[in-house]
Amino acid sequence: MKKYAYNEITLMQYIFLINGAQVATGVLALPRILAEKAGTDGWIAIPIGWFFSVVASIFLVKTAERYPDDTLFEILIRLFGKIVGKVAIIVYMVYFAFYAWIIFVNGSLYIKAWFLPKTPSYIILLLFSIPTFFVARNGIRVLGRYSELSFYMVIWIPLFFLIPLRDGTWLHLLPILKEGWKPVLSAVPTTVFSFLGFEVAFFLYPFLQKKQHAVLGITIANTLTMLFYVFVTIVCFVYFSPDGIIDFNQPVLYLLKLIEFRFLERFDMVILAVYLIVVSTAWMPCVYLATFCSSQLLGKQDHSQHVIILLLIIIGLVFWREPTWNESEKFQQMFVKGGLQLAFVAPPFLWIYSWIYEKLRRRVRH
Amino acid sequence: MFLNDGSGEGLEYFSLDHAYYKHNLMQMQKGKESMSYFLKFLRGKRSSRFHQTSNNANLQKKNMEDDVLDSDLSHNTENLQLLFSQAPDLVIRRFPIAASKTEAALVYLPGLTDKDAIQDYVLKPLMHSSFDPNKELPITIGKIEMVNTWGQIENAILGGDSVLLLNGQITGYQLDTKGWPQRQLINPQNEISLKGANQGFVETGSQNIALIRRYIPHQELILKEMTVGIRGKTKVSLLYLGDVASEDVLRELEIRIQNITVDAIINTGELIEFIEDNPYSPFPQIMLTERPDTAATQILQGRFVIIMDRSPSVLIAPTNFISFFQSVDDYGSRWLVSSFIRVMRFFAFMMALFLPATYVAFISYNFEVIPMELLLTIAESRIQVPFPPVLEAVIMEMILELMREAALRLPTPIGQTIGIVGGIIIGQAAVQVGIVSNIMIIVVAVTAIASYNIPNYDMSSSIRLLRFPMMLSAAMFGVVGIVVGWMTIVGHLVSLESLGTPYGTPLAPFRFADMKDAFLRFPLWAMKSRPKGTGAIPTIRQGRNRTKR
Repeated sequence: MKKYAYNEITLMQYIFLINGAQVATGVLALPRILAEKAGTDGWIAIPIGWFFSVVASIFLVKTAERYPDDTLFEILIRLFGKIVGKVAIIVYMVYFAFYAWIIFVNGSLYIKAWFLPKTPSYIILLLFSIPTFFVARNGIRVLGRYSELSFYMVIWIPLFFLIPLRDGTWLHLLPILKEGWKPVLSAVPTTVFSFLGFEVAFFLYPFLQKKQHAVLGITIANTLTMLFYVFVTIVCFVYFSPDGIIDFNQPVLYLLKLIEFRFLERFDMVILAVYLIVVSTAWMPCVYLATFCSSQLLGKQDHSQHVIILLLIIIGLVFWREPTWNESEKFQQMFVKGGLQLAFVAPPFLWIYSWIYEKLRRRVRH
Repeated sequence: MFLNDGSGEGLEYFSLDHAYYKHNLMQMQKGKESMSYFLKFLRGKRSSRFHQTSNNANLQKKNMEDDVLDSDLSHNTENLQLLFSQAPDLVIRRFPIAASKTEAALVYLPGLTDKDAIQDYVLKPLMHSSFDPNKELPITIGKIEMVNTWGQIENAILGGDSVLLLNGQITGYQLDTKGWPQRQLINPQNEISLKGANQGFVETGSQNIALIRRYIPHQELILKEMTVGIRGKTKVSLLYLGDVASEDVLRELEIRIQNITVDAIINTGELIEFIEDNPYSPFPQIMLTERPDTAATQILQGRFVIIMDRSPSVLIAPTNFISFFQSVDDYGSRWLVSSFIRVMRFFAFMMALFLPATYVAFISYNFEVIPMELLLTIAESRIQVPFPPVLEAVIMEMILELMREAALRLPTPIGQTIGIVGGIIIGQAAVQVGIVSNIMIIVVAVTAIASYNIPNYDMSSSIRLLRFPMMLSAAMFGVVGIVVGWMTIVGHLVSLESLGTPYGTPLAPFRFADMKDAFLRFPLWAMKSRPKGTGAIPTIRQGRNRTKR
């Protein structure tokens, strides 16, 4: 008996959903943060962060494997009972809603900074919420298709990062590990957080067609994210001088400014606008999962009204208080602390707990 | 389906409704009236008195429909005259049969029947030749059926058959003498192709089926017939390959067609509105074609063709977005050439959708993107124009649409004047006066050409429609507006379904194998399998046809 039979996603959709949820606006500032903490060795911290996220991801998939037809919602209720389980679900729901809100705010901030400086944020969010509603009111399958198609549509963007390399100095990267491992390790927490988003896989597992490839899929998704981060960071480090990079809030955006064609000046405007599609693949799963949790909690099948309500709440919050970059970064710090618990601590914990739980249950039965 | 909405009230709704429940009416008559009253009230019907009378009127007729023929011919003809009392064109020809002197009557509607056939093959042998009346009648017509109820006789006569009644027999003969006014098979008018066949579908369903059967003379080509419309009684036929096409899609399609409760369907476009998945979408979800070769190709790919009698275009379902960009000629030309044309079509799609919007966005918002020299040229051209770019664009696009519609509706000889008026007078004079800029004229013209490059008319119209919201969004939010508009279109396309199969395939559930016939047209011998998007069961459609020489 499969509850989610009509909503299956392929392995590719699974990969791109996770990858899409991970890559958002964070990468725009990542090179600067890494440079602040570890200088030009900062990129080494990314593979280390990748390692942690892969380990957490594998725990996550292994936990989900025990209950192949359940989403996190059913798993938590099964393991902890109705009350505690539902509380845990509420925590996840708030987390996803908060995540969606942060990406929305960051997206609107960068659009405001580069394109529409005089338009109020809530109008931009209103604009964002139109495609969001079209996609998120449907099931996970549509989300998967959207993420997959979006990935193919924006795959050409990294090519344009190669253009600034022309004027770069590779010597900036040398010598590797000039100040030892310590600054690198201090940058690891930042990079760990930049992999947040893979926890959507908790909800994707029962929908996956070929469940035997789940571990492979989530690893590929993490690796894609890691490669993109490393690539962008190295390009930034090579192009900007090691001290100069700290002056730019979002060095990646300034990097794009250099791209220019004879028939099209300021090509960065086009790339930045298209980058919105990348950002959208991060907020859409979050909006969907938050409303999925809430509709499951209320025992409803149709979650499209919840999507509208969540979007209205997000727009209302922004209308009430328009956040700035600094505020948004503050919120992000808060969010990241929660994410650490829910994405990196919860999977191993759940894995061990479910192992013990199954053992005990079997013993009781015998 | 739409009966349960409870919103429609009044005369039409009732007549429809009770026809739908026709078969239940007999039982309702038998003492269940109070119960049915209650039920009808619950379903939200107020003027129940009217409903009741209409019930009774129909009941009498209904009773007559089930009655069998009488053995007395005079009684039968009287009944017929009663049944067709409002049809003065009904012919009842009474004559004695030559051999036995039995009285006989031939009944038909002259406009719907083939007069020569009736004279030469029915009346002549019956009246003049001598034969044994106890054996078979000497009627030399292929299809003869026995009828014995008044309902059957009524349907036969209205459907263009003639009915032969004999005195002393309680069964009549339904003779296939159909011969309504018909059109010659001519070149398809709306889907022009260079290399495809020159026969297009016509208004007679049986001929259209024959046209398809000529392409696929195989026993697995299955035909399913249904009747739609209480008054129209349109014959709807489903054609598909029994061992290839998906059963789920078939079931879904049958249920949707059978659930239609309507007076009559005149056009295939109306049928689409009743069976499509998402009626609010701007995109066509079921394809219309008037080419038998296209229909046959689609059947061979595992799709369903729906032929509606009296309509010269047939439906193809399920479809996907990409298939609206494929044309018959693609498969007849060299694959490199047709791949190039395919790519150009998608390029044209993007241009038709985005060019005016991009112009508006770049001119009014993000002019820093345009290089200086070009910007100067544009500024020079726009210097006299009093309108903001978006208004200028909307005005010109509107005029273009008006011209298109005018040229379409006018008789052909006058239609050419529209071109002169539109092209020379509006185009040149408007620029000279300074209402619109030269650049805008170029943009509009290029957009128009691009939008007519899309081979399917429905798809091209929906793209032309979507251009306007794109322009508005570009005028309000610049490049961001365009990107968000694109995201919305993609999000919508991705969530659309055509009869339960994904509309965006092979793009949105990405299917690498199906990409061979999407943006490029691979050589035919490379496309070994049928597209997966249709749910076709045996996927292999050809063997190794490529041998190295």
